[in-house]
Amino acid sequence: MVETADLLVVGGGIIGSAVTLHCAQLLPKSTRIVLLDRGPIAGATSGSCMGHLMVTPDDAQEHAFTTASLKLWRELQEQEGGFDYNPTGALYLADDPADVELFGVLQRQFTDRGDTADLLDARQLRELEPGLAHDLPGALFYPGDGVVLPMLACGAMLRLARRHNQNVQVRPFTEVTGMLRDGDVLRGVRTANGDLYAPQVVNACGVWSPELAAMAGLPALPVHPRAGNLAITGHHATPIRTQLLEVSYIRFAHGAAKVDPTRTDDPGGHAVNMQPQTNGGCLIGSTRQFRGMDRTLDKALLHRSLERAQRYAPGLASAPIVRTWVGLRPYSIDKHPLIGPWPALRGMWLATGHEGLGISLAPITGRLLAQQLAGLPTTIDATPYLPARFLR
Amino acid sequence: MNDASRLPGTTDRSVVTFTFGGEPIRALAGDSLAMALWAAGRTELRASSRDGAPRGVLCNMGICYECLVVVDGVQQRGCMVAVRDGLCVERGGKP
Amino acid sequence: MNDPNVLTADVGVVGAGPGGMAAARALAAAGLSVVVLDEGPGAGGQIFRQLPPGATGARLAEPPSHHHGHALLGAFAASSLQYVRAAVVWDARPGRLWFEHDGRSKLLRCQRIVLAPGAYDRCVPFPGWTLPGVVTAGALQVMVRGFGIVPGKRALVVGSGPLLLPTVTALLSAGVQVVAACEASSRWRALRALPGVFGNGARLREAWWYARQLLRAGVRLRFGWTIVGCEGSGRVQRATIAKVDGTGRPRPGTSQTFEVDVVGAGFGLVPSIELGLVLGCRTRFLAERGGHVLAVDDRQRTSVAGVFAAGEVAGIGGAEVAIAEGELAAAAVLHELRGVAVPAQLVGKAQRERKAADAMLRAFAPLPGLHALATPETIVCRCEDVTLQGARDAAALHGGSLRAIKVGCRAGMGPCQARICGPSLQALACAAPGRAMDLPVAQVPVKVVRSETIRSAPMD
Repeated sequence: MVETADLLVVGGGIIGSAVTLHCAQLLPKSTRIVLLDRGPIAGATSGSCMGHLMVTPDDAQEHAFTTASLKLWRELQEQEGGFDYNPTGALYLADDPADVELFGVLQRQFTDRGDTADLLDARQLRELEPGLAHDLPGALFYPGDGVVLPMLACGAMLRLARRHNQNVQVRPFTEVTGMLRDGDVLRGVRTANGDLYAPQVVNACGVWSPELAAMAGLPALPVHPRAGNLAITGHHATPIRTQLLEVSYIRFAHGAAKVDPTRTDDPGGHAVNMQPQTNGGCLIGSTRQFRGMDRTLDKALLHRSLERAQRYAPGLASAPIVRTWVGLRPYSIDKHPLIGPWPALRGMWLATGHEGLGISLAPITGRLLAQQLAGLPTTIDATPYLPARFLR
Repeated sequence: MNDASRLPGTTDRSVVTFTFGGEPIRALAGDSLAMALWAAGRTELRASSRDGAPRGVLCNMGICYECLVVVDGVQQRGCMVAVRDGLCVERGGKP
Repeated sequence: MNDPNVLTADVGVVGAGPGGMAAARALAAAGLSVVVLDEGPGAGGQIFRQLPPGATGARLAEPPSHHHGHALLGAFAASSLQYVRAAVVWDARPGRLWFEHDGRSKLLRCQRIVLAPGAYDRCVPFPGWTLPGVVTAGALQVMVRGFGIVPGKRALVVGSGPLLLPTVTALLSAGVQVVAACEASSRWRALRALPGVFGNGARLREAWWYARQLLRAGVRLRFGWTIVGCEGSGRVQRATIAKVDGTGRPRPGTSQTFEVDVVGAGFGLVPSIELGLVLGCRTRFLAERGGHVLAVDDRQRTSVAGVFAAGEVAGIGGAEVAIAEGELAAAAVLHELRGVAVPAQLVGKAQRERKAADAMLRAFAPLPGLHALATPETIVCRCEDVTLQGARDAAALHGGSLRAIKVGCRAGMGPCQARICGPSLQALACAAPGRAMDLPVAQVPVKVVRSETIRSAPMD
């Protein structure tokens, strides 16, 4: 069977859903957009991750990037809702006296970016979060962060997309088995249900982006899986109402240290990130480990994760744990996502490599990609994210 | 025990008293919290997690998590917790 | 290094119901060290639930098969095996069982594992089923037989399958008025169970016992009827039944409403395969045996070396099947550990009991039309308050699979770990003809345990 469309988006996670939404909003209403996923929509990484809406202060470019994206999240909440949006802010915590000075460093980074974060002393912290350990030396509170439920957000984005453009189709359980390439022009994709021709194809496959790219003959995309263990409590068991982050989290997640993502002996690391859920549960993370596509739980890391969470919120020790699992973040070798065209193959676009900022950056990614597809000026400078940087 | 809610011949056990939402409940040693409450006419045990609707025992064997009540500040399955003198039990589910 | 939280034994048995008791008793009698882990307050599982200590003055009418249960309970109590009650097994691998007990995180190291965790009630959502006072058939059994509690004054019993009978008789023996007892299968479909009953003297005696109880109480089992709704303020006060067609779908214009204060719904059982899945055991799909079951060979061995399974977890079959398979599993373990030959008569007995149970249960395989009882507003996931419409919308957008429905509306993500909603979500997901039933995903913890239990779990 042969079909034609105007735009194909491969990968039905948060990035693919956001790309679909913003293309539906920015491109003409007659544009036939087809979103494909080989499994359920939001069934892979976006159904296995935390829902952090984070503004990162440590890098000016990224601060602007995340801030712009969180603004779009607020707009999505106003226009659509239905994804447990909770503007909790974030509490940066430390228990190692050596880390306490980082509060001040972090606060200065925020103010340098024209943003504000408040230092809390021990008493103020206890007032804000009575469920936390009483021996903590205070915290830094940043009001701009929030929490969402990514799997529901995918649905919300796609429902809104279909309201903007009735020619948006969503096809789960439709596996792309090949890319239809004609010299240096991409014509479409091959699926188990037949060929789909379209002049533009967006690769939003997260940790599977290299696999899809290889089908189109691209060189190995520098995107690698980085596993994260998670645990979630039962309902009405959360010791916190705000989101918690260990102040060492930023260094841990986006650290400057050189890492080899293909190593097979990574013991992994951990920094606390805990999120209250709308049903009163608490999502407990955050570990990072390079181990290929292996999604078996690393027990030692999980124990460490629970131990540290319990250290900050002692009441968590008696909280029921309903489920543990592993998700795979798509880690880009230079720590910036790939958003834009692949110049060596006309029609090939990439939207991937977000590591732990996929949820935060999904809307701005969708917007930047849609703007580039439409030939419109971009909301912020997209140059650092252009995939062309890897062509050398 | 004069109880119409108890089968004859099953009540030769010591009486245990606990409170549910502040009200005293008379139970027998060996009861589960959920069963003691059922015998006392309290079939509503918790408020459902999103809608706050009244819920109670469904499976009575620790599978369904419908019978959650709060004991010592922690939500627990009423059907799996044995009654104890002096326990302060509250409705479970959505606060 | 003597860690009090680490136990060692030749064999770990999960479950102290008929299958677990039979296996453990036989193994201990042969001189092996056995630890039995069970979540309940006492041995017997669900079918042989006993009253609390001190409550034994009651005279609860029991069918003939229960004498076998009493004998087994007695032998179990007198055995040298170590029985750990109120133990929640939450993780396993061959030779290792992690469990929460007495507020502590413990590990059992063993040479062989016998899984006999039983089954739980298959739930079919219908309007009003979330009202307090609406319980499963199993719940009523526990209430009466396990605690000596009179469930109410006027009861409606609905469902499908042999378990309706012990539910009704338990209510009758507690002095409850049974306003109606409804079997969803037609009389003709239910008659197909008869060869399984007639082919076996014990089952015949059992059936006759139930028939006499119902006759004496003047309760007539209605064939081809089921519940279509419940109402009440804060608890169930009224229940409505209706005739159904051959697929279980209600026939319009046939409803009857009763004033009740308790409703028992028993639509069959679902094998507790979750621990087996974590162990990596292969499964088979057998609709009449409850759906996904652990695959076992003719020695009750699963596909994982060192792991055996007996009773409901290998397919719903009742107490006699569980006892026979438990004894066979024990013999197979003994063969592996001590070289003792497996007696042929144990193999034959297990096969005969299984065959008789299959013959009977075939008549009560789940009726697809029962999934039409739920309306769009009916809650299908009770943990997360998701309605049928919510689940349908999720399936329509995210895809027609269990996973797709979960991520689309959170159904199945609550503390019951999709045991209650699983069967109806499966039916929704697999509405596309020819689609195989999705296998539940193996996840840890297998049962909900405290964070500290996982954090402090003895490593290996």
